[in-house]
Amino acid sequence: MSTNAAIDLALDRVDWRDLAAQTEEQPRVYTPGEVLMPEAGFMRGHGTFVEDENIKSSVAGVIQKVNKLISVRPLKSRYVGEIGDVVVARVSEVQQKRWRVDTNSRLDSILLLSSVNLPGGELRRRSAEDEQMMRRYLDEGDLISAEVQNIFEEGSLSLYTRSLKYGKLSQGILVKVFPALVKRRKMHFHNLPCGASVILGNNGYIWISPTKGQEEEGGEGGFAQNLNEHVPRADREVIARLRNSILALAKCKLMIYDTSIQYAYEESLRYEAHELLQQNAIYDIGQQTQGRLRDADE
Amino acid sequence: MSGKYDLLSEQGLRLDGRRPHELRRIKCKLGVFEQPDGSAYMEQGNTKVLAAVYGPHQAKGNQTESVINCQYSQATFSTAERKNRPRGDRKSLEFKLYLQQALSAAIKSELYPRSQIDIYVEVLQDDGANYAVALNAATLALIDAGICLNEFIVACTASLSKSNIPLTDISQFEEVSGGPKLTVAALPTAEKIAFLEMSERFHIDHLETVIETAMAGCREIRDILEAAVKEHLLHMGSASDFAKVG
Amino acid sequence: MQTLREFTRKTKRGNILKIVREHYLRDDIGCGSELCRECFQNEVYQLTSQHANKSTLFKFPHYLVLDTNVVLDQIDVLEEDVLRNVVVLTTVLNEVKHRSSAIYKRFNEIVHDRTRNFYVFVNEHHKETYADREPDETANDRNDRAIRLATKWYDDHLQASQSSKEFERSGKAATRVVLLTDDAANRAKAEAEGILVTTAAEYVKSLEDFPLLMDKLSHKTFDSEKNGLPQYPPHLSMKELLEGLRQNKLLQGTFQASRENYLEGTVNVEKFEKGILIQGRESLNRAVDGDLVAVELLPEAEWSAPSEIVLEEKNVYADEVPSEERAKDENEMLNQVRAAALSAERTPTGRIVGIVRRKWRQYCGILQPSLIEDTNRHIFVPADRKIPRIRIETRQAAMLQNQRIIVTIDTWPRNSRYPHGHFVRSLGPLGDMATENEVILLEHDVPHCKFSDEVLSFLPKMPWTITDEDYSKRVDLRDLYICSVDPPGCTDIDDALHCRELPNGNLEVGVHIADVSHFIRPGKRTGHGGSGPGETTVYLVGKRIDMVPELLSSNLCSLVGGVERFAFSCVWEVDNEANVLSKRFHKSVIKSKRAMTYEEAQNIIDDATQQNEIAKSLRNLNRLAKILKKRRMDNGALVLASPEIRFQVDSETHEPLEVEVKQMRETNSMVEEFMLLANITVAEHIATEFSECAVLRRHPRPPPTNFDPLVKSARYQGFQVDINSGLELSHSLDKCVKADNPYFNTMIRILTTRCMMQAVYFISGSLQKEEFFHYGLAAPIYTHFTSPIRRYSDIMVHRLLAASIGADSTYAQLLDRKSNEELCHNLNYRHKMAQYAGRASVALNTHLFFRGKEEDEEGYVLFVRKNALQVLIPKYGLEGTLYLKSDKDGKDGVERVKSEIVFTFNEEDHTQRCGDVVFHSFDPVTVRLSLDSSNVQHEKLIFRLVKPYIKGFSVETTTEGTDSQAVSAAPPSKKTKKDKKKK
Repeated sequence: MSTNAAIDLALDRVDWRDLAAQTEEQPRVYTPGEVLMPEAGFMRGHGTFVEDENIKSSVAGVIQKVNKLISVRPLKSRYVGEIGDVVVARVSEVQQKRWRVDTNSRLDSILLLSSVNLPGGELRRRSAEDEQMMRRYLDEGDLISAEVQNIFEEGSLSLYTRSLKYGKLSQGILVKVFPALVKRRKMHFHNLPCGASVILGNNGYIWISPTKGQEEEGGEGGFAQNLNEHVPRADREVIARLRNSILALAKCKLMIYDTSIQYAYEESLRYEAHELLQQNAIYDIGQQTQGRLRDADE
Repeated sequence: MSGKYDLLSEQGLRLDGRRPHELRRIKCKLGVFEQPDGSAYMEQGNTKVLAAVYGPHQAKGNQTESVINCQYSQATFSTAERKNRPRGDRKSLEFKLYLQQALSAAIKSELYPRSQIDIYVEVLQDDGANYAVALNAATLALIDAGICLNEFIVACTASLSKSNIPLTDISQFEEVSGGPKLTVAALPTAEKIAFLEMSERFHIDHLETVIETAMAGCREIRDILEAAVKEHLLHMGSASDFAKVG
Repeated sequence: MQTLREFTRKTKRGNILKIVREHYLRDDIGCGSELCRECFQNEVYQLTSQHANKSTLFKFPHYLVLDTNVVLDQIDVLEEDVLRNVVVLTTVLNEVKHRSSAIYKRFNEIVHDRTRNFYVFVNEHHKETYADREPDETANDRNDRAIRLATKWYDDHLQASQSSKEFERSGKAATRVVLLTDDAANRAKAEAEGILVTTAAEYVKSLEDFPLLMDKLSHKTFDSEKNGLPQYPPHLSMKELLEGLRQNKLLQGTFQASRENYLEGTVNVEKFEKGILIQGRESLNRAVDGDLVAVELLPEAEWSAPSEIVLEEKNVYADEVPSEERAKDENEMLNQVRAAALSAERTPTGRIVGIVRRKWRQYCGILQPSLIEDTNRHIFVPADRKIPRIRIETRQAAMLQNQRIIVTIDTWPRNSRYPHGHFVRSLGPLGDMATENEVILLEHDVPHCKFSDEVLSFLPKMPWTITDEDYSKRVDLRDLYICSVDPPGCTDIDDALHCRELPNGNLEVGVHIADVSHFIRPGKRTGHGGSGPGETTVYLVGKRIDMVPELLSSNLCSLVGGVERFAFSCVWEVDNEANVLSKRFHKSVIKSKRAMTYEEAQNIIDDATQQNEIAKSLRNLNRLAKILKKRRMDNGALVLASPEIRFQVDSETHEPLEVEVKQMRETNSMVEEFMLLANITVAEHIATEFSECAVLRRHPRPPPTNFDPLVKSARYQGFQVDINSGLELSHSLDKCVKADNPYFNTMIRILTTRCMMQAVYFISGSLQKEEFFHYGLAAPIYTHFTSPIRRYSDIMVHRLLAASIGADSTYAQLLDRKSNEELCHNLNYRHKMAQYAGRASVALNTHLFFRGKEEDEEGYVLFVRKNALQVLIPKYGLEGTLYLKSDKDGKDGVERVKSEIVFTFNEEDHTQRCGDVVFHSFDPVTVRLSLDSSNVQHEKLIFRLVKPYIKGFSVETTTEGTDSQAVSAAPPSKKTKKDKKKK
């Protein structure tokens, strides 16, 4: 057997910390158990707790103050949903009148049968028949895009897809990154100039698919899934490259949003798609993208 | 007591050249894996441990409490003579329970009802104080995973030389040379002990000083880990300029 | 503060393992020199300019660095208080530890002696002096390099400190560092590296002030023999040995030289029950008794039998080159043996091909007078006949004549007939009491040097007073009528008693034991030298080697009359039938009303006119003791006896005057009974309190076969001895009474004693409860509590007891089972050795007593051996061997080779028969006692038969024995044990 395997020697390993070279003003970081400030006059938010009349951090991260609300945001954690977030999720269980879906949160999320658009119009009544048909609509393992509709008391999310842009996902690739890396923005659906579409789920799940024709735009909003459609090789290569570019960004701990993806994609063009799995290439892309982003900021 | 080495030479040095209160050299790194939610690598002397944390995620069954699940395993190549069972042997199961016990004291489990946190530790090289290093690595991995903790939970071992001088952070060589071993897992700032284990009985006269020595070791390790966590945060965070919400 | 580096080491443990250990290198290790201005010094300077070594070789102040070989070989030189300012490298220390733990121990003593200015430099962890092992470098080479590296560093380091202007102005010569090594290669390399270096011998010779130190140098070669022809086959190299052993071509075992024949020995090998026989000088191949050797088994055709020849080496002189004649002589002898062996039963025979490990130690002996005057080379004759003569060089031969000296072996090269050694020290003139006692102590490994200053510093300062705090912690028993009863002249009184009537009619009995553990605190060195605890007081005739310093043994701890003393009390409430109703233990302050002898106490008891408190108390005690004793006997306790001799020693000359047998009085037994009771009570208590680590004493039940000789000889006398249980044995012993022979019962009991096992200390956790049994005392549990002044075990028991009642704090080791187990082991060993030493001392004094005397005494045959009768002389309590066949040594004893006298040994009923005379056990005999002084190192008492008269064997009552003194000008003494052959 002769396969070309790239083996990195420990010596050649990239020092990822170099990316952080720009450090004129480092924010103060806190670690679990560290005192943030006296409790008096403040409210404690996420990532904090009160002990001995002090607000202490319970995670490692940077402090965020919103008026009197003190919270510490860890750089990395499971997805903590907020109402209105766009998520990409996978159905994990079909239950009575609802689907249980994985959104990379602490608990499974819920998609109620009443929160989906069923074929045949929005105002249709849910019948017992529909309940029996649930598996036809969404089966275990199916991917969907959705929006966070509500947060239950224990913290699990309730989703809904009753908008045309949400629904079952068809052909494409799922990329998982840490949720914190996905920047919260107004738009999470992007048709990138390179010829593919991405859905940047706030939960760190990113969906890359071929850009659909104009006529299909507006989404299926339902449960149509065309697995027979042929996606040309060129499109698939673009998708693959896009995937690797996003992973490269994640690896370099760069925020992921349309611009950064676009930059990373452009930088990646200097490499073959498969070369993007190598550390040096990833590092290079990260560095270049970072530079361009910082330039753009100024 | 002939036949056994004394753990401390008359010149006040231990078998490997440390002074009684000195820790071994510590190296650690967070976020070594992409796949788990948090991960860490820890070296204390020649004891090398990897830890990975998955979760919190939905617990199986109708659990209302939070579940902390650990797995302790030792690579077959971790010891001088090859181990046959990397996990599932008595010692591993024992350590698994001890890890769960200690970590439960640190994790703010009230924040994670009906969730489960899986912590996997793997000892790559065994050079003594495996449990302590495993716990320290697990702490780092939990922090890396952004799981809420009361504070760092760290463990340290201590022993007693024949001249009744307590020694910090016992190496494998010192373990096999016949010193008694005491392991303490503690919340150093709160000065609370979450777990304590002794390889043999200590005399009551010495117990206190040995525990205090182990606690001092814990505090020192905590400071080292904290510095490592902060450094990691700064480097990782500044790549994306701490994602300043624009 | 610390620099970190790792190093790798491979070790073999069955499979080859690669072991990686951390090795931290530091920059905070001081050099220990007062000259140094750089090092971080956290201790007192060990290397000072006040004590310089004056050498003609190096005429400037210098420090010494010793190579490992110098420490190993020249330890005797180092022990002399001459060399100072020595830098001891840890590399060397570790190597010494690895190579010889005995020398390591001795070397450590020197290092610890602060007056010697030895400084241990941890070069292995110093970042500048650590030498990493290079590929292809042997461990030895690396160590040599490390030593050179450290020496070089030291020298440079000191130079740097001394380069200041200030120092130059002072005009002092700069201090350098000199390496002493006996390894030529190392020396050459050191020279090349610019290190001052020389050999130990050269250096010692260059010391002007100590010319005699040269005697103590270990010599690897003697000039005269450098070119001598090899006399022995070469030894295999260690590698070859290991290979051979692994392939089972060679066998490993301990070599045991024969006492009788210097050309013979055996190697104890597991596979062969009797061991492998080694015959002939070349086969013995320089093995010395005790060495661990590798043997090659000879083909079965060449196997031989142990010779029956007694062969002692002729006197030789240092400069004599072994003549061919003698070689021929030896060969002839060997052939003779082999020829004889053809007929006899042959045993596996082999030859020694290599030495795995030498067990050389220091040997005691005398210098053989030299024929040539003015020579430095001498022959040393060891006292132990198993050890070959040793060649030494000394300049003080004239002075050492007729002295007992100690010599150690250095080497045994192929071309030397004898091993080479060097003089260590002199014990004193031959025959001198002090010298002989010293020899006894040395041979029995009894530590007996003076108490070190360190030990003495732990003693309470005099005048010692009892503080209020002490009173408050202790029960005040000063008002009680406590008294002590001991043998006359006893200064270390460790027990006292009291007994008083309680209002309820019961009696309160107290045993008060000296509270030694109050003064001897755990963890502090209290004993002699470095041998650690486990010691015991050794009683020699006229001399006592105390376990604790005299201040304690004869003063502060001794419960002398009329003085307030600390005691550990065990107090019982008993009814008038001596049943124990309650017991309690506490520390107390007592004031003994009177210290009495057994005789005095007995007189008070017997004198009905005395009605004071002490008399009443003694009578009560005596009454209770009788009940206790009866009860004990009924349980099956044995009354045993052993012949005990006591000499009256002249206080001036230390010469024994007359022997006196101890007298037993009721009071002896009274004290004994209460001591037993106290011991048993304490044993029960600590065993329940400390189920794992209580120090107890047990006496195992002997296996029935042990009793064979007793049962058989008693049967002949018409008595049935029942050995099924202690009780039955005790009863049957009581019945063994002969009206015509009052001594018979004692003899039976002496014989019973010989059947017993040794009583031993042990740890409660190490055995099952049933095994705690003390057979002799018929007690289910027993310990030693009552003599803490003379036994360490009692101190341990005191500490345990004190801890259990909260009177004293515990400490880690007290409760550590492993360390207590080791302690017991050591206690047993010391105990045994002390006993042997005591016996040896008695023998020595017996010899002195009989010097120049010859007496006929009545005695009894105690038991019958294969070739001898064991005879007991009741008058002296003396026991000796009457050889029937040729004496074991063949030379001394009764010259009697007349073949018509044949003794036949009957194994069935243990008798010896010669003609119509039959010797049974307990037969009365008359023997003539005399001292054989033909061998100055081995004087011994000779027993010769007078009655019953056997013609040609017994000495004539009228004629004096003439032959015994006539042997000293040794003709080649050789004699076959003809009698045996005829059997």
